Amino acid sequence: MASTSKQYKAVGEDLWKGRTEKINAELFALTYGALVVQLIQDYEDYAEVNKQLEKMGYNIGTRLIEDFLARSSLGRCADFREVGEVVAKVGFKSFLNITPNVTHGAQPVASSPTRTSMPPPQVNAPGSTFMLQFDENPLAEFVELPEEALEGGLWFSNVLCGVIRGALEMVQMQVQAAFVSDVLRGDETTEIRVTLTKYLEEEVPVGDD
Amino acid sequence: MSHHLFLLSPSDTPLYNLTHYSSKPSQSTSSPLASNLPSWSTSAFAGTLTALSGASSATQTQHGQGGTVKIGAGQDRHVIQMIANASLDAIEEVMRKDSVMYLKSVDKFNEWTVSAFVTPGNMKFVLLHESRNDDGIKAFFSDVWELYVKTMLNPFHTAHTPIRSAVFDSRVRASAKKYL
Repeated sequence: MASTSKQYKAVGEDLWKGRTEKINAELFALTYGALVVQLIQDYEDYAEVNKQLEKMGYNIGTRLIEDFLARSSLGRCADFREVGEVVAKVGFKSFLNITPNVTHGAQPVASSPTRTSMPPPQVNAPGSTFMLQFDENPLAEFVELPEEALEGGLWFSNVLCGVIRGALEMVQMQVQAAFVSDVLRGDETTEIRVTLTKYLEEEVPVGDD
Repeated sequence: MSHHLFLLSPSDTPLYNLTHYSSKPSQSTSSPLASNLPSWSTSAFAGTLTALSGASSATQTQHGQGGTVKIGAGQDRHVIQMIANASLDAIEEVMRKDSVMYLKSVDKFNEWTVSAFVTPGNMKFVLLHESRNDDGIKAFFSDVWELYVKTMLNPFHTAHTPIRSAVFDSRVRASAKKYL
């Protein structure tokens, strides 16, 4: 039963509406901004701050996925393409009330010697990517990056990349998520690229033979 | 016909100033950015303020050199700042009595009128202007207030420090063009 993107949108919308505990957007943005500024003061190295934000996001993501799966009661995604759709339309919608645009990229050409012709894009294979393009970013309301942050390469909302990575790892997908562009840095759009590294095997619980 | 805007923190530190000529479409280059507030201007403030008034309300803790105050009307930068400073006493007087935000014109000096706007956070916006334009000035102050609040919400901005944001600057200029 293939869910269409409209169905995902509806699920996302319902989840968002169904939540009773919402938080003031300004408070949220101010809190996150204060967090980033504090990290910058503590680490004084923008690459390190990016890493820390991603780590924090990872921790959030590993916990968030349980909440998400419990509320949405969505089953396993058929392929990575569907993962992208669900993340954008249901995930981001239900937690941040934003719906980034998803564009899917096929895997890079596999250098398999057994095939003579170009294999069709296998959306399930390692190397598949999808891009999330954000029209709005509730984390970065009112934010203007100072010169040093621009030069130092700060990705202000890097926590989002960590959340994606953490959440997907808990459902047996190892991905890399990274910002490609950010309007805070003067780019045209804010985009995250998520690349599938591999599917994780089910781990045998410790103690079993 | 020119206007001079000063944004002052509760401790009367200048955080931003702007000179706007409403006759010309292009803005003046007379250093509107707060980066043009070097220590000399702060000391000029202190010097002129203590020189002009024996007002006890102005408890300036800045140790400025007594700036050379040129008496006389005109476009001289020192005079402009002196006038702005002198008006601070009048502003504080009115502040104590009334608790409105927009204090219309609080002071007059030769051909310059000083209008003031005090935000709930005790930031003072002081505008020197030559002509009467109450409605326009009120609208302009409201606009500047909104822009100021948005700047304060930027996590990278420290409260009561000079405002150097280019976005803020360009928006204030646009607003000045619109209302003044």
